[in-house]
Amino acid sequence: MAKRPIKFRSSKHNMDYVLLTVVLFLVGFGLLMIYSTSSYEAAVEHNDSAYYLKKQATSTLLGFVGLVFMTKFPYKLLQKFDVLAIIVSALLIIAVLTPLGVTRNGARRWLNLQFTSFQPAELAKIGVIIYLASIIQRLECVGKNVIRTPKGIAIIFAPPAVIAGLIYIITSNLSSAIIVMGIAIAMLFVAVPDYKWFIIGAVSITVLVFLVVLYVSGADTTDSGFRLARVKAWLEPESYSTDRAFQTLQALYAIGSGGIWGKGLGQSMQKRGFLPEAQNDMIFSIICEELGLFGAMAIIFLFIVLIWSCMIIANKTIDRFGSLLVVGVMAHYAIQVILNIAVVTNTIPNTGITLPFISYGGTSSLFLLMEIGIVLNISKHCK
Amino acid sequence: MAGINSTGRRNMTVQKRKTFVLCSLSVIALLLLGVRVGYLMIFCSEHYTELATDLHERERDIKAARGRIIDSTGTVLADNKTVCTISVIHSQIEDPETVIEVLSRELGLSEEYVRKRVEKYSARERIKNNVEKAVGDKIRSLDLAGVKVDEDYKRYYPYGSLASKVLGFTGGDNQGIIGLEVSYEEYLTGTKGKILTLTDAKGIELDGMGERRREPEAGKDLYVSLDINIQQYATQLAKQAYETKQAAGVSIIVMNVNNGEILAMVDVPEFDLNDPFTLIDEFQIENVQTENLQTEEGKQEEKKQESTQDLLNKMWRNGCINDTYEPGSTFKIITAAAGLESGSVTLQDNFSCPGFIIVDDRKIRCHKVAGHGAEDFTHAVMNSCNPVFITVGLRIGAQKYYEYFTQFGLKQKTGIDLPGEAATIMHQPDKIGNVELATISFGQSFQITPIRLMTTVAGLINGGKLVTPHFGVKAVNSDGTIVEEFTYPISEGIVSSDTTEKLRYVLEQVVENGGGKNGYVEGFRVGGKTATSQTLPRGSGRYIASFLGFAPADNPKIMALAIIDTPQGTYYGGQIAAPVVRQLFENVLPYLEEIGYE
Repeated sequence: MAKRPIKFRSSKHNMDYVLLTVVLFLVGFGLLMIYSTSSYEAAVEHNDSAYYLKKQATSTLLGFVGLVFMTKFPYKLLQKFDVLAIIVSALLIIAVLTPLGVTRNGARRWLNLQFTSFQPAELAKIGVIIYLASIIQRLECVGKNVIRTPKGIAIIFAPPAVIAGLIYIITSNLSSAIIVMGIAIAMLFVAVPDYKWFIIGAVSITVLVFLVVLYVSGADTTDSGFRLARVKAWLEPESYSTDRAFQTLQALYAIGSGGIWGKGLGQSMQKRGFLPEAQNDMIFSIICEELGLFGAMAIIFLFIVLIWSCMIIANKTIDRFGSLLVVGVMAHYAIQVILNIAVVTNTIPNTGITLPFISYGGTSSLFLLMEIGIVLNISKHCK
Repeated sequence: MAGINSTGRRNMTVQKRKTFVLCSLSVIALLLLGVRVGYLMIFCSEHYTELATDLHERERDIKAARGRIIDSTGTVLADNKTVCTISVIHSQIEDPETVIEVLSRELGLSEEYVRKRVEKYSARERIKNNVEKAVGDKIRSLDLAGVKVDEDYKRYYPYGSLASKVLGFTGGDNQGIIGLEVSYEEYLTGTKGKILTLTDAKGIELDGMGERRREPEAGKDLYVSLDINIQQYATQLAKQAYETKQAAGVSIIVMNVNNGEILAMVDVPEFDLNDPFTLIDEFQIENVQTENLQTEEGKQEEKKQESTQDLLNKMWRNGCINDTYEPGSTFKIITAAAGLESGSVTLQDNFSCPGFIIVDDRKIRCHKVAGHGAEDFTHAVMNSCNPVFITVGLRIGAQKYYEYFTQFGLKQKTGIDLPGEAATIMHQPDKIGNVELATISFGQSFQITPIRLMTTVAGLINGGKLVTPHFGVKAVNSDGTIVEEFTYPISEGIVSSDTTEKLRYVLEQVVENGGGKNGYVEGFRVGGKTATSQTLPRGSGRYIASFLGFAPADNPKIMALAIIDTPQGTYYGGQIAAPVVRQLFENVLPYLEEIGYE
C-alpha cells in the first residue's frame, strides 16, 4: 500500500470547548478549595493563609502555558520522542537518588530545580502515554496481529513495567506505579480486539483481593508488614483510629459530617488540623464536608463529563496515534479520579493518589494541563 | 509513518468500541463511588458527625454546687461559698505589664510567679484558685483583656471543727475525702455542667464558632441525724475531760437506742474542717520530733512529707469507728445478757468473790483485791465483779459464748454510714480455751470498736433489735423534694424481751447503787455500766476509762458512750467517764423532752 500523507482539516474544526470549560472550571474550583482547605493550616504554619494557594496558582499558570503550547504544538511530532520519553523518564526517576533528590514527609520523590521542585513520576506518566500510543501505532503498521504476539506484548509492556518498577522501588510511590501500569493496561485493552485475557485478569485480581481480605481480616497484624497492616486498617478503620487509619478515619469524619448540603464553603472543621494536609490527597473529603453530597456529586459529574469528552475525541480522531494518546490521557484521569475517591471514601486501602486538577501539587498540575493541551490539540483534528 | 491499511481500519473500529467500553466502565465506577459517597453522607452521616463533634469540641466543666449537710435542727453544717478562679488567656492579653502588676498585687503573689504564667504560651493558664469572691469581683471590674475570672464553689464548714471526723471535708475537685462527704458522695456531688467550644486540632478555641452549654445540676442536700446542740455540748464536755485529764483522746457518742440514729459523735482532738491539711498542735509536736531525728537534708524533706501525710491521716481518724479497743467491763453487759439468755445464771444466783479466781493454771484477780465476798448476780454486776463474770462465762461455755457473740452481731461491722469502720478482732472459735473465755467474759483479750459495743448493747436493751447506727436521714433536692429517705437494716430477736427487762433493771441498779452512781441524773432513770481497761501492753499504766449510759432505764431511748483514752491521774471509768455522761444527760435529756424527740 502506498503511503500517503493525511490531510487534516485543521482550520475547519475548533477545539472541544466543552472539555476546556470543564477543565477550567475544575482548575478554578481546585484553587478555591485549596485556599479553603489550606488557609487555616497555612496561616498557622507559614503565617500566610494564601501560602499554598499562591504556590498552586503559580504552577497552574505554568500549566496553562504548557496547555496553550501543547494546543499549538503539532502533536504528531511527539511520536518522534517515544523512546526518548521513556529514557528521559527513567533517568529522571533515577536522578532522585542523586543529591538533586529531595525528601519530603519521609519519601524521596522530588528533584530540586533550585527555583522549584519537580516530581519525575508525573513526567513518566505522560512519557508512558506517548510511548505506548506511538509503539502500538507502529506495531499496527508492521503487520496484522503483531501486537498480539508475545514479542509485541513485550515491546508494549516492558518499558512501562520498568518505569513503574523504578517508581515503586526508587521513590516507593506505589500509587504512581499503579497508575503507570493502569494506563498501559488500558491502552493495550483498547488496542487489541481481545476481551478474554482482560476478563480473566480482572477476575483473578478480584479473587486475589478477596483472598487477601479474607486472610488479613483473620490475621494478627501486630508485627506484620506495613502493607498488610494498611489493609487491616482499611477493613476496620475505627480500631486503628490513632495510627494507621487515622487519616482515613478523619476523611470519613469529614465526609460524614458534611451531610446533604454541607457546612458551607470555608466551614470545614476537619481542615483545622484534624485532617493533616487536607489540601493534598484528601481534598475530596473536605469538598464533601463543606459542599455536602450536592457538591461531591457535582464534582463526580464534572469528571464523568471530562472522561466522556475524552472518549468522544478519541473516537472521532482518524489518526491512530492521536486517538491512542487521548485514550491514554483519559485512562490517566479516570484511574486517578476513581482511585482517589475510592481511597477517600475508604472503599480501597489508603494509598496516596491526588485528585486531578483539584489536589495541591505543582508537577501534577503542570502535566495534567499539558495532557489536556494535547487532547484539545487532537480535538481540532477530529473528523 | 502513519498509514491506514485494512488491519488498521479494522483495529480502529475495534479501538473505538473498546474505548467506549473503557470509558463506560470508568463512568460506572465513578457512579458507584457516587453511590458510596451518598451512602456515607446520608446513612453514616449521623455516626460520623457525632464522632467528629466529639473530636472538635473541647469541654470546659462548670462546677456544680455540692449538696449541703444539714442536721436534724435544720442547721447547715457543710455549705458552699462562691470563690473565684483567676486565669489568663495568653493570646488575648493586650497589656501584659498591667496584668502582671494587678494580679500580683490583688492576689498577693510574687511578680515572678505571675509573670511566668502570663508570658507562657498556652491556651489558658490558671493563676490562682479559691480566690475570695470580693477579690475576684474587683479584678473582674478592672476588665483587663485576657484575664478571666470564673466563679467556682468551695466547701465551707460554718462550725469549723465541729463533728470534723464525722462530716469530713472535700478535696480540690470538691470530692469527699473522709467522713460523710465520702459516704454520701453520690448524693452530695452535683452533675457538672459543660461549656462545649469548638477548637482546632491543637485545642485552640475558634472564635465566632459558637458554643454549647449544659447547665450544672446542684448536688442533693443531705439531712443527718446529728443535733448541733447535743454535738456542741458533747464536744464541750469531751474537750473539758481531754484537758483536765490530759488524755490522749476523748470520744463521746450519743445514739438513739431504737433506730440507730446518731445524735452526736465527738472524738477530740478534732481539726478545722476549713483547714484540714494543717496539723493541729497535738500532732505538730510529734512532727517536730521526727524532723529532728533526721540528719540528711533530702531524706529529711522526703521523710517529712511522708510523715506529714501519716500524721494527717492520724489526725483525721475517727476513734469511734476507725479504731478498736478492749472494751473492758462495759462488755460485762454482753456476758450478763448471754448468761441470762442461756439460763446459765439468774439475777438471784449467789456467788462468792474471794478477790481472785483460778482458771486452769491462771489466777485472775478481781479489781477489788479483798474480794466482794458473798453477792448475788445483780450485785456482781453492780460491783463489776470479775470472778463472777468469769464463772458465768465458764458456765455458758466457749462454744455457746461464741454463738452469742455472733448472734449479738459482735463479729460483723455495724454498717455505719462512715467510711473505714474497723472490724472486730476476735479469737478463732477453736482457740478459745478456759483462760481466753474467762478474759472475754470481762471484756479483755479481743477488740471491738466503740460503735460496735454501743450498737450491740442498744440491741440488748431495746428488746432485741440490732439496729444499724447511722447519720444519713434523707437526701433532698435543692427545690426541697425528697430524693431518697434512707432505710437501714434491722435484725430482730437477738435476745428475748425477758432478758432485756432484766438487763435494764440490773444496769439501772449499777447507776442507782453500784459502780456507776456518778452517772446518776436527778429526775431521770439512767442505766449504765462503767469500764476501766488497761491497754496493751499490760503494766504500761495506760488505761481507757469509759462509761456507757442510757435513759430512761425502763424504756431506753437514748444511749451515750464516753471513752477517755489514757487519762492522767484518776483513771477509773466510774469516776471520770460517768460524770461526763451524767453532765451530758443532765442537759440532753431535758432538751430531748423539750423538742419531743422520739
